[in-house]
Amino acid sequence: MNNDWSILCARLSFWFSRLMAMTTKELIQFGRDILLLFAIVYLFVFDTYMAGNVTMQLNKAIVTVHDADHSAASRELIYRFRPPYFKLGGEVLDNYAGQRLLDQGRALVVLNIPSDFAHDITKGKSVDVQVQVDASNTVLGFLASSYTTQIIGQYSYDQALARLGVNEQALENVPTVRNEYRVWYNPNQKDAWFMPISELLVVITIMGIMLPAAAAVREKERGTIEQLMVSPLTPIQILLSKVIAMTLVILLGTAVSLFLVLHGIFAVPMKGSLVLFFAVTTLYIFTTAGLGLYIATLSRNLAQAALLAILVLMPMIFLSGAWTPPEAMPMGLRQAMYISPLYYFIEMAYAILLKGAGLDILWDSLLGLALIGGLIFGFGVWRFRRQFE
Amino acid sequence: MNSRRILAVVYKEWREIVRDRLFLSLAFVVPVSLLFVFGYGINLDVEHIPFAVVDHDKSALSRDYLHRYIDSRYFDYLGDLASEREIGPMLADSRIRLAIVIPPRFEENLTAGRSVAIQTLIDGTFTFRTSSSKGYVIAINAAFNSELLGDYISQRLGVPLETAREMAQPVKAELRYMYNQEVKSVWSIATVLMMLVLMITPPFLTALGVVREKENGSIYNIYASTVTRSEFLIGKLTPYVGISILNILILWLMVARLFGAPFKGDPLFFFLASVIFVICTTGIGLLVSLLVRTQVAAMIMTVVVTIVPSVLYSGLLVPIASMDPGGQFEAHMFPAMYYTDIILGSFLKGVGLEQLWDKVLALLIYAFVLWMTSFLMFHKRPKS
Repeated sequence: MNNDWSILCARLSFWFSRLMAMTTKELIQFGRDILLLFAIVYLFVFDTYMAGNVTMQLNKAIVTVHDADHSAASRELIYRFRPPYFKLGGEVLDNYAGQRLLDQGRALVVLNIPSDFAHDITKGKSVDVQVQVDASNTVLGFLASSYTTQIIGQYSYDQALARLGVNEQALENVPTVRNEYRVWYNPNQKDAWFMPISELLVVITIMGIMLPAAAAVREKERGTIEQLMVSPLTPIQILLSKVIAMTLVILLGTAVSLFLVLHGIFAVPMKGSLVLFFAVTTLYIFTTAGLGLYIATLSRNLAQAALLAILVLMPMIFLSGAWTPPEAMPMGLRQAMYISPLYYFIEMAYAILLKGAGLDILWDSLLGLALIGGLIFGFGVWRFRRQFE
Repeated sequence: MNSRRILAVVYKEWREIVRDRLFLSLAFVVPVSLLFVFGYGINLDVEHIPFAVVDHDKSALSRDYLHRYIDSRYFDYLGDLASEREIGPMLADSRIRLAIVIPPRFEENLTAGRSVAIQTLIDGTFTFRTSSSKGYVIAINAAFNSELLGDYISQRLGVPLETAREMAQPVKAELRYMYNQEVKSVWSIATVLMMLVLMITPPFLTALGVVREKENGSIYNIYASTVTRSEFLIGKLTPYVGISILNILILWLMVARLFGAPFKGDPLFFFLASVIFVICTTGIGLLVSLLVRTQVAAMIMTVVVTIVPSVLYSGLLVPIASMDPGGQFEAHMFPAMYYTDIILGSFLKGVGLEQLWDKVLALLIYAFVLWMTSFLMFHKRPKS
């Protein structure tokens, strides 16, 4: 009995030492490719850093005015278009000139104030201010129109109150609903707390699929897989060693990016448990590695594998809420989103880093990722093993 | 340069592509399916934001106020919560993105003519969603306030409600969206997606081409042949440029027919500009494949120079105008931004060469620099 046990132990340690040897081989092979290392460092460090400079907010959008009234009232409205959202870009003399600036992309908003603006307001007549917004970029068009409506609405409200003779002190005695906002988790709405995290998750996804796929296909293309097949290694050892080596590389990159760029430069708070974050990341990388292995079984050379990887990668990234809010997805695709492992990973990564959520809240997402990950990885392994038969 | 030798290289490369059936079909399947999936999937019109309310007042007026959110297509109502304490876990779990808290005596205070403060809690993780939802909330709240003011004026001055409501809103904004009347993001996005697809697929098709010969050693056949450097490079790339030009036409048709984006510009100008862009992007793939020694490195390098910049620095999702100088510099480094302007100009704005000549010039310079660098970097006598 005792003897059996020690034999089993010996076998197991033998099995692991072979796995380790193979993993070391993968890591050495990986480390020899200087340009590959450089590209990976670029993606994890420089790219996440650059993403922190990207913003999806209106930043000093140029407002051009055609003011036919030139009154104190019209000027008061115009001066409400101030930084950070807007910047006044001067006046134009007629509507046509404003249109041309929009065509050339030199103005985002053109305000048209009619000639009897002040007169009509004092008369109590309602005035229309025409606003032309360049909506060819949806994000900018949407934000610009939203803020312009807010500014004009507030101006209108203030004018109405002024005509009633209500001043600042008496405002308490007018029935109004004051909406007080609290933006949680990112109170100043810094894009630098959002974009770099999203970029990091995207980079992890790209690497997680491409590196294992490449590692597996390369042996096939160069014919070295024949050597592995006659070696005492089992298919599982060959495959696991590749996955483990690539997971280590990606985890290292993630750690560097997280501590150096996200936390170090952008001061992204790391509220939750880092152990949990890395555990989730590891689980996610295994899932994507399963996809990578499956791609590798379908292709005979790297060119095919690269195109197949793109075919899987890009929809997964775009439709999981990394770059566009998941709420904005059409109904059918929102259902499809639930089978994307990246969707769960994104939710959990933000929840752990920014919201400080723990397992008590995230268990259902984690369960979802584990189930999908298990299925995908199992399938990838099964397909990969079948090649050896 | 000898055209017969170029043709020979083109023919050899073409045979190689055609024999790899999977690769050849993927060269067309990938662009089409990317455009298809993104065109239907990406939507920046933020709607259906899940939210919950805590109503301490439970009066007719508070329900009336809340129903403006509940009935709006921008918000999905997930129910009432008993207290503020339940909001935290719901937001942390992403089950809701927004919560509205109505204080007690909401109706009583308002009817007595006093102002009331309510609280809105917003999930700030996704900044664009945060600013959109905040915009909707402000708009709904402002509409409610202006109605309240109308009622108040009508009571205080004794004028009819209609006139009072008019008086409560003396200035109205009359919005006109240029180039994209309904702010349909599918229009502006589907057209720009053409850029994304043409930025990503040609480099991937090309990048692995040269480096594969290097890694397999078959490039020594070329080294030893009479084919010159430029003949080899031109011959090698022509099939890929050809595939990409076919893809331009397919994608163009899809954007116009399937997504119904209007095409207002000059077709010939747009076609030629697109061909220049494709020559640029295949050039990127070529340069990458000359830089690296292994196919894996070629693949990852292509990711670095195509996927990320074409999403972040092209104006597809993130407007370039609102980037800081660092981001703007990076955006100008990649050809994606120029081609985005050409696409938007041709499709939505209907402007042509006289407005867009500088972008075309930038692409031409880009293509020239890429091809010259590749030419100078490619040696038939390898150093090591």
